[in-house]
Amino acid sequence: MAEVILRDIKKVYPHSETKRTGLFKKKKVTEQHRVSHLKITEEGVVAVDNFNLEIKDQEFIVLVGPSGCGKSTTLRMIAGLEDISGGELIIDGNVMNDVPPKERDIAMVFQNYALYPHMTVRENMAFSLKIKGLPKEEIEKKVEEAAEILDITQYLDRKPKALSGGQRQRVAIGRAIVRNPKVFLMDEPLSNLDAKLRNQMRAEIIKLRSRINTTFIYVTHDQTEAMTLGDRIVIMKDGEVQQIGTPQEVFDHPANLFVAGFIGMPQMNMFDAELVRDGDKYCVKLEDFTVELSKEKTERMLAKDVQSQPVTLGVRPEHVELAKKGVDATVDVSEMMGSEVHLHVNVEGKDAIIIVPTLDLESSDFKMGDKVTFNFGGNVAHIFSREDEKNLEW
Amino acid sequence: MKREVQRKRMLSVAFALISIFYLFPVFVVLMNSFKSNGSINTETFALPNESSFMGLQNYIKGMTFGNYPFFKSVFFSFFITVVSSALILLCCSMAAWYIARVGDKACNTVYYLCVFSMVVPFQMVMFTLSRTADKLALDTPWTIPVVYLGFGAGLAIFMFVGFVKSIPLEIEEAAAIDGCGPIRTFFMVVLPMLKPTLISVGVLEIMWVWNDYLLPYLVLDRNQYMTIPIHIQYLKGSYGTVDMGATMALILLSIVPVIIFYLICQKHIIKGVAAGAVKG
Repeated sequence: MAEVILRDIKKVYPHSETKRTGLFKKKKVTEQHRVSHLKITEEGVVAVDNFNLEIKDQEFIVLVGPSGCGKSTTLRMIAGLEDISGGELIIDGNVMNDVPPKERDIAMVFQNYALYPHMTVRENMAFSLKIKGLPKEEIEKKVEEAAEILDITQYLDRKPKALSGGQRQRVAIGRAIVRNPKVFLMDEPLSNLDAKLRNQMRAEIIKLRSRINTTFIYVTHDQTEAMTLGDRIVIMKDGEVQQIGTPQEVFDHPANLFVAGFIGMPQMNMFDAELVRDGDKYCVKLEDFTVELSKEKTERMLAKDVQSQPVTLGVRPEHVELAKKGVDATVDVSEMMGSEVHLHVNVEGKDAIIIVPTLDLESSDFKMGDKVTFNFGGNVAHIFSREDEKNLEW
Repeated sequence: MKREVQRKRMLSVAFALISIFYLFPVFVVLMNSFKSNGSINTETFALPNESSFMGLQNYIKGMTFGNYPFFKSVFFSFFITVVSSALILLCCSMAAWYIARVGDKACNTVYYLCVFSMVVPFQMVMFTLSRTADKLALDTPWTIPVVYLGFGAGLAIFMFVGFVKSIPLEIEEAAAIDGCGPIRTFFMVVLPMLKPTLISVGVLEIMWVWNDYLLPYLVLDRNQYMTIPIHIQYLKGSYGTVDMGATMALILLSIVPVIIFYLICQKHIIKGVAAGAVKG
């Protein structure tokens, strides 16, 4: 249980063949860094830049973003597995920049479990407590308790290789919880599991979180995990924070085009449109269809004195509906999903998706080349600047 | 199906023949160790018969030959082998871990030097080496393991580095978070995971040091210290006379510990070699 503060955290890998990581803290710079869009300065490749975040005690924070965005690097800096190039890391009121991992009172769950293969599950879970020099009885008690929470009591005397992926991940979580750490770090813990098991384990983590009151920092590239698990989500791209907010906030008010596209499944539809200001009113014009923006959106834009301009209009597929009047489109593909149909349509050369609930349809039989018309409300339109791709409301 | 069975049979026959081919010299040594010198020279490949069978006399003669006690040679051989192999395994696994994980220019240079040392024949360096060993007082059984460490390091580091690279770094990071420093991480986490390679390298080094003749012959003071191969060589008398029976008996005795060691570790050796094959 602890508050974690990251102040202007920066990570730069110098222009040399090696970067520091692990126990000896050295590893070759991977090709990934070279091909991604990370900032390159005189100092080196900037993997994380200007990262500011205050994590409250017992909060569940999820760092999310595409591969190479710096989320794992940030987590590893918190864990002490990576040197911090700049800024300040404070855990429970103490600056931890140069404190070794073992003295930070944190626990970490790795993507590939990182269980000690030569030890049994019991030994794996007891390892950190043994190092701490706790009495045998206490270790045994803590291990039994954690095993019970995670339902792995029957596997305690097995070696990791005799366990399935899901069981191994539970052991990895168990190894972390026996320590009762101040901060619980998880680096893509579910990405090695199959879809069914991932859903199951996700629910387990939610349950676990309610049982052990500690601060969680969770890294994932899966936006579903981020939305379902996090109290707040930090969306990252190319080493920079794009937006921090609750799942609802980032879904409803994406700060920029990247966040809008990253959060939400299927992805938000983007169109080239025209924002028209008429006194105290704003309209957005897409082809021949014009929609007036809602009162709240108008107020926010007025406050920023946004003028008429060409914009990128974002509308989520679930907020688009088929109508008699609106934007004309041609059906490319129709995907029957059971309770809804995902229509992939073409609007003036741009692809878009419309989610149509099957209940609203007389026939869900859409063929390639069918003409459809759709529209949307002014309260669900997201307006992004074409220049800097930022949301014009915020 | 029939073809498959036939193929398997052919393979079995071929491997049986190869096994016989490999075992035959050992069998000849075993057979001759019970025969008299005369019959060894005249009927080398014949089984012992009533007139040629000597019982354990060759063994007794070999062990009591000369002024130097055979058991002392056994002790020195045993001591040098155990200490040298242990030293090679410990130091080289540590060095390989560091080389594999740090991987900077200095480490790579050391690594390639070690690999290069494997292709340098002993005969090329033996003169300078024996002089240096003399000067550094490495000419006793208590210090010769240092020389063996130098010579064994090439192969050992090469094999260990390959294996360490296949161990996920996250395991060591997990150990760091669990409270281990580098030394604890090595002994409690890395070393146990190296077991298959430790056994493979151990077998190779033990067999090499145990059977090595030239290095101890050049380095050790032979009046004071002898290993088994040197002791056997002393059975060769003046004017080229060789007590073949006793030589055979001692050769056989020197093979026995290696065979016992192999039989005990057989399961792990096969596992180690297989692991190396998959992960290497």
